Amino acid sequence: MKNKLLHLPAFAVSALLAATAATAQERVVHVYNWSDYIDESVLEDFTKETGIKVVYDVFDSNEIVETKLLAGGSGYDVVVPTGPFLARQIQAGVFQKLDKSKLPNLSNMWPQITERLAKYDPGNEYAVNYMWGTTGIGYNVDKVKAALGDVPVDSWDVLFKPENAEKLASCGINILDASDETFAIGMNYVGKDPDSKETADLEAGAEVYMNIRPHVKSFNSSAYIDELANGDTCISMGWSGDVLQAKARAEEAGNGVNVEYVIPKEGTYMWFDNLAIPADAKNVDEAHEFINYLMKPEVIAKASNYVQYANGNLASQEFLDKEVLENPAVYPPQETVSKLFTISPYGPREQRVLNRLWTQIKTGT
Amino acid sequence: MAKSLGPVKRKFEPWNDPTAQPFIRFENITKKYGDFIAVSNLSLDIYEREFFSLLGPSGCGKTTLMRMLAGFEEPTEGRILLQGNDISGVPPYRRPTNMMFQSYALFPHMTVEKNIAFGLEQDKLSKGEIEGRVQEMLKLVKLEEFAKRKPGQLSGGQRQRVALARSLAKRPKVLLLDEPLGALDRKLREETQFELMDIQHTLGLTFLIVTHDQEEAMTVSDRIAVMDKGVIVQVDTPAEIYEAPNSRYVADFIGDINIMEGTVVAPSGDVSPQPVVTLDCDGLIVAVEQDCAAKHGDRVAFAIRPEKVRISPDQPADTSVNAAYGEVWDIGYLGDFSVFLVSLSDGRIVRAAQANVSRLVDRPITFGDMVWLSWPRDAGLVLTR
Amino acid sequence: MAEISTTSHSGPARWLVVAVPYLWLLLFFAAPFLIILKISLSDTAIAMPPYTPVFDSFGTLGNFVSQLDLENYFFLAEDALYIQSYLSSLRMAFISTFLLLVIGYPMALAMARAPSRWRPTLVMLVILPFWTSFLIRVYAWIGILKPEGLLTVFLQTIGLMGPDEQVQVYRTDIAVFIGIVYSYLPFMVLPLYSALEKMDGTLLEAANDLGCPPLKAFWKITFPLSMPGVIAGSLICFIPIAGEFVIPDLLGGPDTLMIGKTLWTEFFGNRDWPLASAVAVLLLLVLVVPIMIFQKQQQKVG
Repeated sequence: MKNKLLHLPAFAVSALLAATAATAQERVVHVYNWSDYIDESVLEDFTKETGIKVVYDVFDSNEIVETKLLAGGSGYDVVVPTGPFLARQIQAGVFQKLDKSKLPNLSNMWPQITERLAKYDPGNEYAVNYMWGTTGIGYNVDKVKAALGDVPVDSWDVLFKPENAEKLASCGINILDASDETFAIGMNYVGKDPDSKETADLEAGAEVYMNIRPHVKSFNSSAYIDELANGDTCISMGWSGDVLQAKARAEEAGNGVNVEYVIPKEGTYMWFDNLAIPADAKNVDEAHEFINYLMKPEVIAKASNYVQYANGNLASQEFLDKEVLENPAVYPPQETVSKLFTISPYGPREQRVLNRLWTQIKTGT
Repeated sequence: MAKSLGPVKRKFEPWNDPTAQPFIRFENITKKYGDFIAVSNLSLDIYEREFFSLLGPSGCGKTTLMRMLAGFEEPTEGRILLQGNDISGVPPYRRPTNMMFQSYALFPHMTVEKNIAFGLEQDKLSKGEIEGRVQEMLKLVKLEEFAKRKPGQLSGGQRQRVALARSLAKRPKVLLLDEPLGALDRKLREETQFELMDIQHTLGLTFLIVTHDQEEAMTVSDRIAVMDKGVIVQVDTPAEIYEAPNSRYVADFIGDINIMEGTVVAPSGDVSPQPVVTLDCDGLIVAVEQDCAAKHGDRVAFAIRPEKVRISPDQPADTSVNAAYGEVWDIGYLGDFSVFLVSLSDGRIVRAAQANVSRLVDRPITFGDMVWLSWPRDAGLVLTR
Repeated sequence: MAEISTTSHSGPARWLVVAVPYLWLLLFFAAPFLIILKISLSDTAIAMPPYTPVFDSFGTLGNFVSQLDLENYFFLAEDALYIQSYLSSLRMAFISTFLLLVIGYPMALAMARAPSRWRPTLVMLVILPFWTSFLIRVYAWIGILKPEGLLTVFLQTIGLMGPDEQVQVYRTDIAVFIGIVYSYLPFMVLPLYSALEKMDGTLLEAANDLGCPPLKAFWKITFPLSMPGVIAGSLICFIPIAGEFVIPDLLGGPDTLMIGKTLWTEFFGNRDWPLASAVAVLLLLVLVVPIMIFQKQQQKVG
């Protein structure tokens, strides 16, 4: 299950990696992916088909991944960073170029998505898209209705208007602990360019969160799935697939919690999580085989059906469940897509301003 | 009584005065720890200004008795009266007794001065008063120049003095001393014993001392209570304890003594004018000038101190009674005394001590010599217990 | 002759024995500290590792030194967040250490006064929690303290709380204090116990005998004599608590400000190694320097 426990014992997993690496000839690939981001049977199938053992480790924040990658010697063969982080990491020389001759399934990819990804990876040399999605609002339908009455849940107003936040405070508000996205959304909400790196604009974005800070219960990017599902949190800024997983878990538990996901009408952040190979990866061939496998239409469709995120593989769409393909929260209609925005990476100085503001927001100082 | 038992130390015997009120009274005290009976139905009176010793081997209950007086233990049964007041239930910090601990129990984080002042500070005396009393005590135990030292920087003897000064500082009605000299070497111990007596005499306090060292008890005490297995076997002056022990236990515990088991052949009262008991100790006929309740045929013991046995190569005038013949089996030279171990014909060993009154001896008795042992009728003792 | 041969024999051996702790310090304290110090004088960069200059070879030593700057330290001084984090950590550490003393002392005292045949068992019980992972124990506290957790259920069951009320402790400083006190208690109890256990019980009897009631005797005798244990326990707890990260992260709220968390954010969240290193260097100075001065003073007194 996904929770913060997972990112702490990562060192234990690394130790395990070292141990397995020592056992000689066995083919192995070390994968570092987001938590709750795959159907585990996909990994088993891969091992069955190729004989390559998958050592799978998970994270819940891009920052952790970047810290490990920049330190070097992470021991991973495949990692899954999000767009702006990918761009910066490429710049830092973290990744190696993909050997496209080993990736025949590239032909299955969705050109529209590949093109958008090129913003972060010019020429699509280093990465292929795994999943993509939006950052919207996940909420407990009944509790929000009880707190706000007839206020329609279709706008960031529900969360960002202090009077609304105040009413929701007692049932639990969570904000994603992902500063770049939250600032982009905040700046967009107050009418600034979401991709701005100007200090004044960032401060305007921070203002949105400072105004509701007293009413926010937590800032996390993984525990909120369970908290939404069991009713501890009634509204959260969240990633589309995560919220849908929460909805599924609540239905499975039959606890009467009714979770929904909405892309607010002001538009929101669209993100891409991508497969890339670290420059110091030890099992490069296996990494390519793994990525190529994930580009098989039926395989990635299985993953999408499970995690409820859209993927960047056009050919997979015929294998997708109808509820997934036709769910506007997963594959939004064109008019919604036009309101989605992406952001470019922050430079080190801008990053410091951003971090400082974000820390200020979180600590409420 | 015309005769006296031993030297008279001082004219002080309130225990023989029927009008005297006891200062401390233990009344039918029993102390149990679970099934173990440490003190058993014990009664004892101690008088004001008395130097009193509780003497006995470890585990005889003497320390328990003292701790009950100090208030660290409560009696299971019975009560303790101090100047006529029942002090049961009074916590130790409200009792007018002070104790000098065997381990000294000096506070290691305080200077000598502070240790001595500790009890006075509890009484909320003025600073000047405390100061004065501390100086007085330091002077009394001759430790003036060590006032600022901590106990860790003192020798054993100095620590003992600090402990004494600390327990005396409050001028307690009763000073309790638990094996106070045990940790000192012999010479220092002897010196200190006399100092203790001096201090007790000067300050006019009542001292109760617990010790297993009979010599120490003999030296310092007005009276001694010899204890065994939770009961008092005998309470008397040191001279009486030594010269007239009331039992084999006391006789054996105090000093060196020859004890021979025997049967009464002629009880006292049979012979006049002096009552004399005659015993048959396995063939050795012994006559003792003593008024004794033992009847004809009773099994009793004859006890005689070695220094009261005369040893000589010459045959005494009367060998039928109070005389024995044997071979010198071992000699212990003690400087002031020589102790001869004489083996009788049936293998019994009798000890005889002889003061070495002159440096040169004409006919020294030596190993293997056949000698005569003899003693007068008032030298030995019949023990019925 | 014999004497000479033994001294020449034991000379290098003794030197080695003395050298081991210094080697240890050099290898595991001085060297890492110098690395951190160096990084703290660097600049962030988009690179692997994410800072410049990186010390590569001796040839570039002069060049390297000229590139170092104190900018990160100025940044720390300018921004109230860091000062507040330090102060807040010290405050948390002070309060926690005080609570640990207040709770740990009676425990240690009870253990030291228990019949001697029970003591090994009692010591064992204090150490027992170490047999499970620290992390799992802190997680268990989440289960207890969260609003719908065991504590709420318990209080509701015994009727101290209505069915609609919940314990609002999780993700507050109170939860952090609970977690810290729980986790560090053995580190406080054991030094106190060993100091108290060594104490001669007749000292208290002597104090009693001299007219000092038990409670006063505790403050006059027991407490001063247990000072080495109090100091050891307090230092062993205070230092790591001031830099504690895991417990405030798991049990504290987003507004729980502690330098360990700030450092973690700088390093992992912001990937700002130089600044994180500067925070670490200052933390060391803030904690170690006063303690060293204190130790020196103690040595003089002793």
